[in-house]
Amino acid sequence: MTTVTRGGSVTDVLAEISDARQLAADAGRSDLAERLERTAERLRADDVAVAVVGEFKQGKSTLVNALLRTDICPVDSDVVTAVPTVLRYGRPPSVSLQIPAADGRLESVPVAFETLRKHITEGEPVDGPAPRSVEVRLDRRLLGAGLSFIDTPGVGGLDSAQGNITLAALPLAGAALFVTDAAQELTAPEVDFLRRVLERCPRAFCVITKTDLYAEWRRIAEINAGHLARAGLDVPIVTVSSFLRMRAQAKDSADLNQESGFPRLVDLLRRDVLGAAEADGLATARSELGFVVAQLRERVVAEEAAAESPAAAAEIARRYAEKGRLAAARLGGGSWQTVLGDGIQDLTADIDHDLRERLRLMVRKGEELLDDSDPRETWRDFQAWAAREAAAAAVDNLMLLVSSTEQLAREVAERFGIEYDSLDVDLPAPDLALRKVGDLDVSFHKSGMQQFLGAFTAARVTYGGFYMLGAVGALFNVAVAAPLGLLAGMTLGRRLVRAERERQVQHRRAQAKQELRRYVDDVTFHVGRDSREAVRRTQRFLRDEFAGRAMAVERSAASAAEAVRQTAALPEDRRRERAAELASQRRRLDHLA
Amino acid sequence: MSLLADVRTLLDRAYAETRDQRLADARRRVDEPLRVAIAGKVKAGKSTLLNALVGEELAPTDAGECTKIVTWYADGPTYAVTAFLKDGHAEQRPFNRIQGAVQIDLGRPADQVDHLEVRVPSARLRRHTLIDTPGIASLSTDVSLRTMAFLEAEGERAAQTDAVIYLLRHMHGSDVRFLESFHGDGLSTGTPVNAVGVLSRADEIGGCRLDAMDAAGRVAERYATDERLRRLCPVVIPVAGLLGAAGATLREDEFRVLAAVAAEPMSDVVELLLTADRFASAAGRFAAQAPGRRRVLQRLGLFGVRLSVRLIREDIVRDAADLARELTAHSGIDRLREVFTAQFVGRSEVLKARSALAVIDECVPAESWLAAEAERIRASAHEFVELRLLHLVRSGRLPGTDDQLARLDMLLGGQGGAAYHRLGLPAEAPPARIAMAAKAALASWQAVGEHPFSARELRTAARAAMRTCEGILQVV
Repeated sequence: MTTVTRGGSVTDVLAEISDARQLAADAGRSDLAERLERTAERLRADDVAVAVVGEFKQGKSTLVNALLRTDICPVDSDVVTAVPTVLRYGRPPSVSLQIPAADGRLESVPVAFETLRKHITEGEPVDGPAPRSVEVRLDRRLLGAGLSFIDTPGVGGLDSAQGNITLAALPLAGAALFVTDAAQELTAPEVDFLRRVLERCPRAFCVITKTDLYAEWRRIAEINAGHLARAGLDVPIVTVSSFLRMRAQAKDSADLNQESGFPRLVDLLRRDVLGAAEADGLATARSELGFVVAQLRERVVAEEAAAESPAAAAEIARRYAEKGRLAAARLGGGSWQTVLGDGIQDLTADIDHDLRERLRLMVRKGEELLDDSDPRETWRDFQAWAAREAAAAAVDNLMLLVSSTEQLAREVAERFGIEYDSLDVDLPAPDLALRKVGDLDVSFHKSGMQQFLGAFTAARVTYGGFYMLGAVGALFNVAVAAPLGLLAGMTLGRRLVRAERERQVQHRRAQAKQELRRYVDDVTFHVGRDSREAVRRTQRFLRDEFAGRAMAVERSAASAAEAVRQTAALPEDRRRERAAELASQRRRLDHLA
Repeated sequence: MSLLADVRTLLDRAYAETRDQRLADARRRVDEPLRVAIAGKVKAGKSTLLNALVGEELAPTDAGECTKIVTWYADGPTYAVTAFLKDGHAEQRPFNRIQGAVQIDLGRPADQVDHLEVRVPSARLRRHTLIDTPGIASLSTDVSLRTMAFLEAEGERAAQTDAVIYLLRHMHGSDVRFLESFHGDGLSTGTPVNAVGVLSRADEIGGCRLDAMDAAGRVAERYATDERLRRLCPVVIPVAGLLGAAGATLREDEFRVLAAVAAEPMSDVVELLLTADRFASAAGRFAAQAPGRRRVLQRLGLFGVRLSVRLIREDIVRDAADLARELTAHSGIDRLREVFTAQFVGRSEVLKARSALAVIDECVPAESWLAAEAERIRASAHEFVELRLLHLVRSGRLPGTDDQLARLDMLLGGQGGAAYHRLGLPAEAPPARIAMAAKAALASWQAVGEHPFSARELRTAARAAMRTCEGILQVV
């Protein structure tokens, strides 16, 4: 991924990180250097996903094409996008399919460009398991700037199973473009969907497409603004014409491009979406940098103190050794770990209970529906209903998982922060203690929030790419089988008296209910397995993250104690030289923090 | 005695016995035209389609949501508007017509009005009353509720409509569910024999390009093969309502605007037709002024304008009458009228009888002799047997080869009730040819009915088909 096109501040922070890494390496702290390397990598690699969502035939794929000035997304007056398409930066351009393997993981399989259409659109059977998503890498400025786009299928209406799967992917998106066309005002299901989008992805925009086809598009935009305001949804409206944007490119005309409305959309994406995401990323990186600088600085400050008054060196070394011991005891196995362990247990129980409760309600409602009808007549619709309800239950359950893990991450971070705070070492010399107050505390924001931010952003990373998409997508593999004997009822000779018919209906209902329960059991199994996996991943991540920090703190204390001893043992002139060196190192660190 | 006569007699006797007002209403309804509702999602183009079907600008249309109250358009001696209130009262309301559309002064909040009735002297409304409904999935939820209550036959009430034209813009989940709610179980509430699907606003599919209607045809074909949808409405017809309405009411001055645009140099024409904005408001040395162009655009839509300009430029049409004819031909409205006639008008007796029997079921106790009599009519009238069988055929629950099922559908009146329709003959076929075809059909169904390997349901169906053939032979 290129960094040149990123904002200047990213370049600055990357330079600072590389400087700090040099200092860490010089001080023999390879653990801190590695930490910074990972930070830099994340800052460089994270792109912001923009999900393009909406009912189908609203021009989502055309919008993505026009935004990127490409024709990669298949567009047709009838055929629709059936598989989510992810467009991100890459050179040379390439296409790969994310195919579920036998063990449930997604495998990336490169395919030829020409076959893209076949894989994305519906109705054309593909051999083997259906891909969960298609990834297209393209060499485009907007993508290079750190954005990626997800063109989602709108098949089957917004309240369908597919609509729910789209919702499931949204917590991972940095922004959402809700697409509706200028042919008509927003409908109730659309506004409902938009509300659910906002719950999962607060940065959303309402894009009104096809303004070239309707003279009344300004009024439609106005009416829609009124609908959104009445619904209490604060969503900016952008009006665009993909047709004009494409034509502008063909004719190389800036005026047409301006008229298409796209410059405003691109501007919003760059400033609001990319800018905000970059700010988040920078804050995380800075917090990480701050942590490392504080660790390096501790040793320099301690050494300086020892260089100034070698007499106090033993006392200083003792305190740092004590701190190291405390850090090992408290941070290595302190109450934050208890918080984490208990939290994970509660979380697992809560999520499990929530899923069971939702599915129990679904079974009850399904049985009521079956009691009201003859499954022979309604089975297909009932299947669609069951898939929709199951997907909705899974998606809401996963949303609960996301918000709960974030809450837990915050609690653990806070707990860790408190324990970390109490580890401060007061240096004996009064003037040094003063200096410490002046420099260290101001420059290093130890607030729990900053640390939390890092953990939090990374925690979402643990969901990994399109994990959510995969989890709910698995529901498609769970088919509701038609109860045996659904069709057998017709062969029963002339005794088709009312009572017999009623008995048969009862029999079919019983079979259908059994089938429903079996389906729900399968769903419970799949979703349950996926959410347990996610919880485990979260636990592992949080444990490693904070244990790593605890280890760093312990090592810092130990190396500070060691350095103090060495410095104190130096002859007078060497010590003065060392003091000068340390002062220069501290200036570098000051500069970094 | 005919089916409707039976039903009339039964309704009279039931009313004499119970004095139930609902029965009196049902009795009156038997002699009124068939009630056909036009339903669909909000902004699907219901009012536009109604105007196109009547051939007159009646229902007001707008870019925003427009129809908010269920409105009946019925034939009458003069134009008149009656508001039926929720409290049971009815009153005449003043109205005026703005560019043809009937603008009604309600004089009260819309939620107090149950429905409006607009009387229009029109031959096209003589055999059926059209009912314009507010869109479902509307953002004003009370508008949606009003439509649902109206079509869903809330609670114990039998349906107020005999048939429905359902407008689909695309296949939405909520669309399909909506059709389901219209069709309950069995004969009493609804079957695929009384619904016709229309792929509306067909001109806008695929970005208003000139091949839009072809694309719409493909979409409609795909819908027709969708098993779920087919079970709910057997045919889906692409219709560009705007074109149909404009074709029926095109004015000379509108043609002049289009002709003036078509006469501009090619580059200007392309520029003007590029976007709706340009056509509506581009200033310059154009012969047709912006206000005139805006009006035409409103009436024809961008596709209609593009199509008209091309037809004029290529010298295919020379005057307003020519253009009106071409627009009508492109709109698909004629095909809808044909299907409409075959599915509803030709079958109006049995549809009306069905609605009336549903009212009896609901008004008299199940064990009374009246209910038994209603059941007897249902069981004995061959029209009902045909309808039920047609339902089975269309919902794909009758075993048989595709050819058998297609022939059965036709014989049962799926394409129209006339003898030549049923036998797949041209309209001018002489009686002798009809008789011959009927005999051939009778023989072939007899073979199916007696074949030992035929499924039991198919044998039953074959017997009904034979009776239909015999009926045709009797008339010839």
